[in-house]
Amino acid sequence: MEESFSQEELVLPQCKYEYLDHTADVQLHSWGDSLKEAFEQCGIAMFGYMTELPSVEIKQSSEIEATGHDLESLLFHFLDELLFLFSAEPFLICSKVTITQFVCEGDEFKITCKCYGEEFTLGKHPQGTEVKAITYSAMQIINEPSQNKFEVYVIIDI
Amino acid sequence: MVVRQYQQELEYLERLSPYCWKIKKGFQPNMNVEGIFYVNQTLEKLMFEELKNACRPGMAGGFLPGVKQIANVAALPGIVGRSIGLPDVHSGYGFAIGNMAAFDMNNPESIVSPGGVGFDINCGVRLLRTSLMESDVLPIKEQLAQSLFDHIPVGVGSKGIIPMNAKDLEEALEMGMDWSLREGYIWAEDKEHCEEYGRMLNADPSKVSTRAKKRGLPQLGTLGAGNHYAEIQVVEEIFDKWAAGKMGIEEKGQVCVMIHSGSRGFGHQVATDALVQMEKAMKRDDIETNDRQLACARINSQEGQDYLKAMAAAANFAWVNRSSMTFLCRQAFAKQFGLAPDDLDMHVIYDVSHNIAKVEEHIVDGVPKTLLVHRKGSTRAFPPHHPLIPVDYQLTGQPVLIGGTMGTCSYVLTGTEQGMMETFGSTCHGAGRALSRAKSRRNLDYTDVLRKLESTGITIRVASPKLVMEEAPESYKNVTDVVDTCHAAGISKKCIKLRPIAVIKG
Repeated sequence: MEESFSQEELVLPQCKYEYLDHTADVQLHSWGDSLKEAFEQCGIAMFGYMTELPSVEIKQSSEIEATGHDLESLLFHFLDELLFLFSAEPFLICSKVTITQFVCEGDEFKITCKCYGEEFTLGKHPQGTEVKAITYSAMQIINEPSQNKFEVYVIIDI
Repeated sequence: MVVRQYQQELEYLERLSPYCWKIKKGFQPNMNVEGIFYVNQTLEKLMFEELKNACRPGMAGGFLPGVKQIANVAALPGIVGRSIGLPDVHSGYGFAIGNMAAFDMNNPESIVSPGGVGFDINCGVRLLRTSLMESDVLPIKEQLAQSLFDHIPVGVGSKGIIPMNAKDLEEALEMGMDWSLREGYIWAEDKEHCEEYGRMLNADPSKVSTRAKKRGLPQLGTLGAGNHYAEIQVVEEIFDKWAAGKMGIEEKGQVCVMIHSGSRGFGHQVATDALVQMEKAMKRDDIETNDRQLACARINSQEGQDYLKAMAAAANFAWVNRSSMTFLCRQAFAKQFGLAPDDLDMHVIYDVSHNIAKVEEHIVDGVPKTLLVHRKGSTRAFPPHHPLIPVDYQLTGQPVLIGGTMGTCSYVLTGTEQGMMETFGSTCHGAGRALSRAKSRRNLDYTDVLRKLESTGITIRVASPKLVMEEAPESYKNVTDVVDTCHAAGISKKCIKLRPIAVIKG
């Protein structure tokens, strides 16, 4: 059964990410008007390495939750959850992720996220590169609300 | 990280021979032993350039060069001998890729590190021989390549075609190639020609997260993407006729099949889970390392033991995976030639693991010791007469399979006594990257890469064209340089050179 989505949900976000140099792996660099947006963009950047995102239609969605003990581990687990969504049932490839709850106060670091896309299908979705794992390697999170500067750098192992 | 100028850094490096350099203590803080790396003149330049780039002032982000990583590993608790960089060494996660290090099992401080194994646990290479000659294959090369591509699931998001349920997976994790044998996918002889006989006995599937199992189940029997491949190769040169004969390789032009793959999402998740666990263990046990990426735990701690058992399960997964693809290759050949795989003499020559940690006996300073040997991007290369190598290779030494990059050549080496003494019976694993993936994408065009391969007579079937650029031969070090260095340094010996005629990739 296909889910139905509101017009708003079907609108894809702007692209605010790029892929940077690393010898064996790839560094994702994303940014946004809030840390939440930078995180979302980082998730999309990872999916963008697995296939051509324009081939992905929004047909279904899944909700994920991630927690951490600091910002870095929150980002790590957030991406790890997204990777898992793709690697096992429901094999979801996403063109849009919307963080519905973003808590980073005191000791609590938690994300709830709605992920929009469809099941990865050979023949429909061009095969990109496989992401093996998320790493802490050279991970950087720039969180400077005063300067309206929000950026993240993550190296993914491929 | 110690901040020094490039010239000052060089004072800590000393040339020992034309093929090897010593890294003196003090290059990085707290080094327990010295480091060493093997390079020839060409590879040396790449190595020093990497170091020079890292010494530029004001570098943000970036990553540690391979030499620094080798030195950081030398600072880990319980390391014995030296931290060793093989000729294909390049910067990796925590440990450099092409880095091996051994830890004393009887020292309670000694550690095990998932970074010293890598994310792709038991990534390795398997070589099958055939009784076919190049001239038998050439007329139907395209069809054969297509048939292999159709038989073996490749690339991102592909799923295995060997029927499996959760219970089968549990059994496969515990039994390794014994499972493949029981289910009828392999021949009994295959096990004989595989490290550990295709089964690590300490595997414990109960130490593996459900998450890893869920990622692993759909991917069993798939090749994967990245640098993994299946190639039809022909014997280009035989350096050691006698040893080659023992492997069933009689003359130039003989056709072989090489499979390079690992434990897929299963192993990646086992490694990820262990890294998270070990961060906690490090805090608890006060283990200090030079680099956060060198997450580790004492071998005897709960986390250390759990990782070793889960890693062994991932190793078994990888062997079952390569065995399943062996089965598919044999089927593809049998269908094309209308002969049974038996009649095509499609035996496994050998199967090596180049991302693994194993308990082994070695002589350190004249005393026999039980060590936990980490090999990351490094292949075991045991000498003749070693008890852990199969009867067929007792006199030649262990076959060491070195996979080249797409479109270049591959090698079979044999282990030597000198390698046993100098590098704990370890040698290189492949070409090792020289260009970053992003740079390859920018600088190379995939149609050029494909045309170039075609012009050299190589058929290619690839799931992702982007990957062709990232994996182009230009992106890698020259595998011949790497192998020649190992040969010249005496840590392994050249036996056979293979040239690809068809490549199947993710």
